[in-house]
Amino acid sequence: MLKVHSRCDLSCDHCYIYQHADQTWRGRPTRMPPATVQAAARRIAEHAREHELPVVHVVLHGGEPLLLGAAGLREVLAELRTAITPWARLDLRMQTNGVLLDDELCRLFVEYDVRVGVSFDGDRAANDRHRVFAHGGSSHDLVRRALALLRRPEHRASYAGILCTIDVRNDPDRVYEALLAESPPRVDLLLPHATWDHPPQRPGPEPTPYADWLGRLHRRWVDDGRPMSIRMFEALRPGGGGTEAFGLAPADVLVIEADGSWEQVDSLKTAYHGAAGTGFDVFDHSVDEVARHPGVAVRQDGVEGLCVTCRACPVVDRCGGGLYAHRWRTGSGFDNPSVYCADLLRLIDTVDAYPPPTPPASGEGSTTSPVDGLLDDLATGHGSASTLALLADTQLSITRALLAACRDGSGTTAAWELLVHLDQVAPEAVRAILAHPFVRPGLVHRLDSSAPPGLGAAADPLPAIAVAAALRAGVPAALHVPVRADRITLPTLGSLVLPGLGESAEVTVRPGEFQVRGGPVAQTVLLDPLAPPSTGWFPTRDVSVPGGRLLLEDGDPYRDCYGQPVESRLDGPAARALGRTLAAAWRVVHRDVPAHAAALDGGLRAVVPLAPDPARPLRSATARHAFGAVAVTPHADPETMAVLLVHEWQHAKLGAVLDLYDLVEPGQGLRIRVPWRPDPRPPEGVLQGVYAHLAVTQVWQSRAAATDHPDASAHAAHFLAWTRDGVDALLASRSLTATGERFAGQLRHALEETRVGSR
Amino acid sequence: MDHAPTRPSRPDLDDLTRSLHVPLERIAVEHADLIEAVRSRVVTNDSVPSGIVAVAAFNSSI
Repeated sequence: MLKVHSRCDLSCDHCYIYQHADQTWRGRPTRMPPATVQAAARRIAEHAREHELPVVHVVLHGGEPLLLGAAGLREVLAELRTAITPWARLDLRMQTNGVLLDDELCRLFVEYDVRVGVSFDGDRAANDRHRVFAHGGSSHDLVRRALALLRRPEHRASYAGILCTIDVRNDPDRVYEALLAESPPRVDLLLPHATWDHPPQRPGPEPTPYADWLGRLHRRWVDDGRPMSIRMFEALRPGGGGTEAFGLAPADVLVIEADGSWEQVDSLKTAYHGAAGTGFDVFDHSVDEVARHPGVAVRQDGVEGLCVTCRACPVVDRCGGGLYAHRWRTGSGFDNPSVYCADLLRLIDTVDAYPPPTPPASGEGSTTSPVDGLLDDLATGHGSASTLALLADTQLSITRALLAACRDGSGTTAAWELLVHLDQVAPEAVRAILAHPFVRPGLVHRLDSSAPPGLGAAADPLPAIAVAAALRAGVPAALHVPVRADRITLPTLGSLVLPGLGESAEVTVRPGEFQVRGGPVAQTVLLDPLAPPSTGWFPTRDVSVPGGRLLLEDGDPYRDCYGQPVESRLDGPAARALGRTLAAAWRVVHRDVPAHAAALDGGLRAVVPLAPDPARPLRSATARHAFGAVAVTPHADPETMAVLLVHEWQHAKLGAVLDLYDLVEPGQGLRIRVPWRPDPRPPEGVLQGVYAHLAVTQVWQSRAAATDHPDASAHAAHFLAWTRDGVDALLASRSLTATGERFAGQLRHALEETRVGSR
Repeated sequence: MDHAPTRPSRPDLDDLTRSLHVPLERIAVEHADLIEAVRSRVVTNDSVPSGIVAVAAFNSSI
């Protein structure tokens, strides 16, 4: 947090900077001098470089940062971007009272990708209870004008949200409605800073007025369908992750004051004069030196850094002892529960209790959470169509988040703008491209911090994604697309290979065709399958299967994610033969294990041919980043291929689950002996093996019951034993989380049913 | 306003589901925490590749 200006144009009586115990602002320079900005930026860059940080968050703060003016702010922003972005993604933020915000400043923030939070306490009465000028005049209209500016479409990307300091004398419904009316992306509700020495106001007889007030607001928010993000309520949910104010994660905020002093979080200023001081400054001390300061170090200890009362509390992982500053009491220091402890306890109860759990449809049975429901369904060995649809949706959401993360790193590009446009006018086309299994590997490759910005980052995959979506939508467009080895690959559609294209080519999309120009080369490609083939164009082939169209993916460069060589493009007869085998295999799965077939129908969209290896002619694989695809060596026997598909699809489903849930305790380094390999395996590998073998057991049992396959019973018994021994070893290892144990226990139960069914 | 992302844990099922209905243009602002959680879980913590472990033995057994 950079205190770029240490004075303010408002005179709020609840401000912890000026009105509480600490008064160090009186000795600071009014504005942060350029040399201090430069030293601060260098220190941050130094830390990012030495620790290879993927991202650094910098908040311009005050006082009131807008008092720097547009020119002053531009200098600060340019210095920060120049110094830090070669080493890490720079997430720039600002917190302001909004009074001075105007069009010029908004344009500046959009230009420098700064997200602005505005302090605003709600309706006029609530806001003007505290947020007034020194002469007592209202700030309400000026702040609302600022919020309206940020809401404009051209500025909206810089609208981070609203900080609302609550006052229990205000009407929570009116405050809620006033906040909602500003359409904030996020609201951060702040408890008024207080300590045991100076407890918060409790105007009535109720013991927990803050919980009651927030509980009322929470109910409105839930009843309205959570129309905006409210950080406090989201952070307090089980697994909500926490914030600086809640949860047990290490505190990772440092403040640089206007004179270059390193300080601890500035809310400590409410405790006592000088409470946030460290004695260090950016001119002589690195971030690592400040991080060793006892006041900072104690904030890294999680539950061990809390008082005895908190450590014994059943909800300590939710509130984390509350905001550090709120624990202060003269004599015992910060070794106390929060002065809001009773309110936080009650608020957590409120958040947990509303909305109440949905009662089961019948009179019997227990309520199952969505998480448990999804895992329990998959633990049957296969998973229902609705569960598969949910898994596919979560994978698509993850890919969209990665896409947005790429935009964060690269800024707004023509490709991003085209995707945003297509997402509005042809969302199904964008969805179809983003659901392609090899879009995510390309985005992950792009974002991987092992290729830092400015040091040979991977090619931008967004232009090819956008062009593919435009072609699918039939929307005219033109973009420059990176060329790799004379090749442009458009996900799901195919690859154009033209020597001489150079490093980048201009691609013009027209309905049913596209034109490529690069260097001296130009080519028009007709997408109509009945048209004469275009030179250099290798369309992605597909085959009809019961689940729809299955792509034979032998052209996308990001298919090379299986840890073993992939086959280059198959010739026509080989592709047709593989397609016939896959279609027949899919029918075999429907014959043998209809429940598994339904799961295949729900998600398998592409098959990648693996390169042949005479030593291991029959191989298959799944990649964590490529949900919706499996890789196989082409094989002519549909019965064998069916088993491979079922086996690999188990891995794909469980991989998608592991994106969402921790089933294995991290970082144990434990290895478990399993019957299917001589070398002990990590717990996640065992879990994957068990899940795949359970399905294969079910395939062979079905064949044993319904066909005259001579070895089916022996295979079924073999895989049954592997699965049973594997899951028992896994459960005995104590290496699973509670959720993982529940999942493995359900698998064991499914196995017993399988065993009984085989008799 | 606490501008830091919510401490990344894992992508939340509700957030993932809701974000599907948010236009691409708005995701970075309305689901900043989700993006950080995905980045942390999927990119930074590029964990165990699935499928490789059991596959070789499975194939050799048939």
